[in-house]
Amino acid sequence: MTLLLLLLCCAVVGAVCFAAGAAYARGAGHVLGAGFVRGAGRRGPARGDGRDPDGVERATFQTLHTASLAAPPLRAGLTADTARKAVRRLRPLLGTQSLALTGLDGVLAWEGGGDHHGEQLAAQVTKAVQAGRTRSFFVDCDRADCAVRFGVVAPLTAGGRPKGALAAFGTHDSAAVARATEEVARWVSGQLELAELDRARSSLIEAEIRALRAQISPHFIYNSLAAIASFVRTDPERARELLLEFADFTRYSFRRHGEFTTLAEELNSIEQYLELVRARFGRRLQVTLQIAPEVLPVALPFLCLQPLVENAVKHGLEDSVERSLITIVAVDEGAVARVSIEDNGVGMEPGRLRRILNGEGGPTTGIGLRNVDERLRQVYGENEGLVIETAVGAGMKITLRIPKYHAGVHAHAPTGREG
Amino acid sequence: MNQPYGVAAVSAVIVATVAVGALGLRISRTTSDFYVASRSVPARLNAAAISGEYLSAASFLGIAGLVLAQGVDMLWFPVGYTAGHLVLLAFVAAPLRRSGAYTLPDFAEARLESRAVRRAAGLLVVVVGWLYLLPQLQGAGLTLGTLTGLPSWSGGIVVAVVVALSVAAGGMRSITFVQAFQYWLKLTALLVPLLFLLFAWYADGRPAPALDEPPGFRGHAEVRVDDGVTLRIGEPLRVTVTGTVDGHRHDGEPVELAPGRHRVDAGTVLGFPPGSTVPERSTAGGDGGTSTGWAEPRGHAGEEHPLYATYGLILATFMGAMGLPHVVVRFYTNPDGRAARRTTVVVLGLVGAFYLLVPLYGALGRVYAPDLLLTGNTDTAVLMLPDRLIGGTAGDLLGALLAAGACAAFLSTASGLTMAVAGVLTQDFLPSPRGVRHFRLATALAVAVPAAGHVVVQGLSVANAVGLAFAVAASSFCPLLLLGIWWRRLTAAGALAGLVTGGGAALAAVFATVMGGPDSGWPRALLAWPAVWSVPLGFLTMILVSLATPKRVPAGTDAIMARLHLPEAPVPVPPAGAWKARR
Amino acid sequence: MAAEPVPRREVVTRHPGSTPAHTAYRSTPYRPATEPPRALTPAAHAHVRRLIRRQLRAGLATGAALALLVGTLPLVFRYLPGTGLGPVPAVVVWLVLGVAVYPLLLLLAGRYVRRAERNERDYTRAVEGA
Repeated sequence: MTLLLLLLCCAVVGAVCFAAGAAYARGAGHVLGAGFVRGAGRRGPARGDGRDPDGVERATFQTLHTASLAAPPLRAGLTADTARKAVRRLRPLLGTQSLALTGLDGVLAWEGGGDHHGEQLAAQVTKAVQAGRTRSFFVDCDRADCAVRFGVVAPLTAGGRPKGALAAFGTHDSAAVARATEEVARWVSGQLELAELDRARSSLIEAEIRALRAQISPHFIYNSLAAIASFVRTDPERARELLLEFADFTRYSFRRHGEFTTLAEELNSIEQYLELVRARFGRRLQVTLQIAPEVLPVALPFLCLQPLVENAVKHGLEDSVERSLITIVAVDEGAVARVSIEDNGVGMEPGRLRRILNGEGGPTTGIGLRNVDERLRQVYGENEGLVIETAVGAGMKITLRIPKYHAGVHAHAPTGREG
Repeated sequence: MNQPYGVAAVSAVIVATVAVGALGLRISRTTSDFYVASRSVPARLNAAAISGEYLSAASFLGIAGLVLAQGVDMLWFPVGYTAGHLVLLAFVAAPLRRSGAYTLPDFAEARLESRAVRRAAGLLVVVVGWLYLLPQLQGAGLTLGTLTGLPSWSGGIVVAVVVALSVAAGGMRSITFVQAFQYWLKLTALLVPLLFLLFAWYADGRPAPALDEPPGFRGHAEVRVDDGVTLRIGEPLRVTVTGTVDGHRHDGEPVELAPGRHRVDAGTVLGFPPGSTVPERSTAGGDGGTSTGWAEPRGHAGEEHPLYATYGLILATFMGAMGLPHVVVRFYTNPDGRAARRTTVVVLGLVGAFYLLVPLYGALGRVYAPDLLLTGNTDTAVLMLPDRLIGGTAGDLLGALLAAGACAAFLSTASGLTMAVAGVLTQDFLPSPRGVRHFRLATALAVAVPAAGHVVVQGLSVANAVGLAFAVAASSFCPLLLLGIWWRRLTAAGALAGLVTGGGAALAAVFATVMGGPDSGWPRALLAWPAVWSVPLGFLTMILVSLATPKRVPAGTDAIMARLHLPEAPVPVPPAGAWKARR
Repeated sequence: MAAEPVPRREVVTRHPGSTPAHTAYRSTPYRPATEPPRALTPAAHAHVRRLIRRQLRAGLATGAALALLVGTLPLVFRYLPGTGLGPVPAVVVWLVLGVAVYPLLLLLAGRYVRRAERNERDYTRAVEGA
């Protein structure tokens, strides 16, 4: 009995603490948002005479700060989740009673009171989107607890196409609110535009991966088949093995689904690749491997090691190096796996390599390196690209850091779902 | 115990640990080994690694000490430590692996898409890790102290430094091989001496631990009391005293102690005649309750509310194993969810096999080392027994083997925990996680805090201290994992509130206990065994707050739930024969 | 072998020094561009829910068995003497807690794994058959 009582007490205390925390957070939000309307719209802060440079600066800063907080969710596109996060930041900015973000077919998020006007809003959104401009309208409501009397709907567009609308609600007709809403809607549209661009950039990289697959194939396929053919008479068993190796390798490289793979699978494909290369070059190519088994299940972008190994092989076997030595190391560093690929080949002039990585190296050179670098940064963050140590005649060492976990990165697709 | 042998054994373990770590990394050297290198870690190897990391000083030394002192009820510790893995298997293992998470904060982020919950989970990982490291350092201090005569605190510091250096320098790179090796070392170190001990015991006429009587000395015994102690004596007892008893100085002459309490000063040597009863240590929290009813279940001996205490222990260990940071990270090594399950089953077997042996040391200690009850150093029982039963060079060698096992126990657990804590510190708490310097700083921090705690808080029972870490994990991570995996209406707000309330309450209770809170009655019991109320509290808070914030269920919940529970699509199988005939 | 000294290597990354220092390591979750998160079809959704329910049942059955067979032991040991059956012999307690528990746990674990894997096979069959 005592126990039960104690339990209840603690639960109540916990709930109260939490509620208080949430309320505090909301209050802080209000304080932060000096607001378009109050700060910028009326020229100067409320208390001053309009010529207080500090106050103006502060208001500007706060407006920008609030906008910067609302930007990241919107950059991920317009969904219920991102809309909810964005609206929470944007409402203090406008200082209106309530604020809603809608898609083309319904309300996505509604902050503030009066959310029973959803259907009425949907009708207004349709009109505003069709007209392609901001609309104001009066709201009829007989509910005592509802202060909403007036609404403004501003359409949102991206890539020239309508995406939804931003709707602000207040107690009375106000031209300032209408204008401010239109401005904010324009800003939101800008963010959505950027989101589309992000997506387009990713598609471009995707297309590059496909190009990469297509690019490696002609030489490699020809050389591999030639090497295999040379064994058909002398060592049919070896030829058969190599052919199977070849089949596996191409199956992996050309697979269509999934953006990610595991380090184990990628290494497996590298093995097949090297087996085929060795069929051609024999003892001139020597490979050393140090793989910590803990990092084998790490998920990483599909085909992001193999181009690097290919690069090392090319550098090693090009020109006069008698014996090419390639070292592949994968070590476990707690939350990250560090993979490095080193060769003793001809190396590269650092300035040229830098140009290649920056995308200034011309259309054909080093597309593999640049593509891998780009994808790593895109997936794991701006700081997580390739680190390359090289000089002319000094070989090359390429190092990557792959986090063992990163939100959104999964190697395995569960059964029952395509892709 | 013979010092050179023991020191040699401990040094050998450290060297072997480093050697296996270095060799494991170089498991494959040429292209023909590529095939081996790119395969996954087999379930058996990974299970041995998990068991190796899991079986800590608390298991190797602490449980035998508790059984020696308090009897059959202490068997709930090993039962709980093992059963915790069954709960982990039934509710967590496969979904956790499928979430792709490496650490518990990763899981929180993957499931709830919230940075705040991620941070709270990270903070709790650090706290649980520190709480768990503390008894490891104590076990280390104890072992090294017994071996070399160093004061206990310095041994802990030595190990803290060794662990910090090896982790920071990356000397444990192939951690799976190292930990698996440590498991087999620990099992061997326990099993081989035990066979000899049992043989010696059989040859000695199979004396059984006196079940209902206070333990007695079998021969003449000289016991040195290192700390000041109050003894409670039931029957008149004639001892020889060199030192101070009840304020009187004696120099080797016989003294008749009347029934009642007697104060023995530090450094006093008491000589007991054969067959005399071992006096009981009298502590602030009431009498030790160590003398009678050893073999009978009474709930926790020495507890005012024994049944409550037993359930406190059961709840903490059954629900806590899934929240131990160093165990969770090892599951990542499994290639998929199914392998995670199979690994857990093997872990159950390996851990269970180990725990079959431990209580026997406790029982033998009751017969052959009852003086430890007097000195209070019951945690050293495992290390003392070969000398007591066998003696000579054989005894020394077996003792050295046990010391090596104990060394493996605290090294493996401490380094695993340090890795886990340092990883979370670098990722979630230190600015800009790039670079080796940050990881080294985090490692130093991860070890320094428990090392300082170890110097300050002396005399905490090793197994009890581990129990407290389990209680905190059970009250915070258990609700997060169970509700996260099985309940779609969990929200970030609910998870955060639950972690803070459940974990915070258990943590407060732990601190109150360690700092010497109330020393009797229900308040003491509630604080010493918090899991009974703090685990439901964590669950309740998480559920209620989630229900109160229904709009904040993460948008991707359905997709994540599907990912957690759906079996992985099989990797396209290569044509038959493609895997054969490699050179 | 090496007649001439090997040139010193230089470290190269893209835009050296221009990446903002504050860009957090895990700033944003990665969102695939070409595969926007799609809702499951209602049929697939039903399959998934069914699998989760069955797995939960399997877990709960194991948990219940554990609670019933092991979790009640302290009560049994404590209250059995009061029911007139007499005290539990000490050696039985030792054997139960020290030995018998472990095979039991292993047995429960084995049964659970078989059941969980069967559930998954049934699911795969149902999805692929559909």
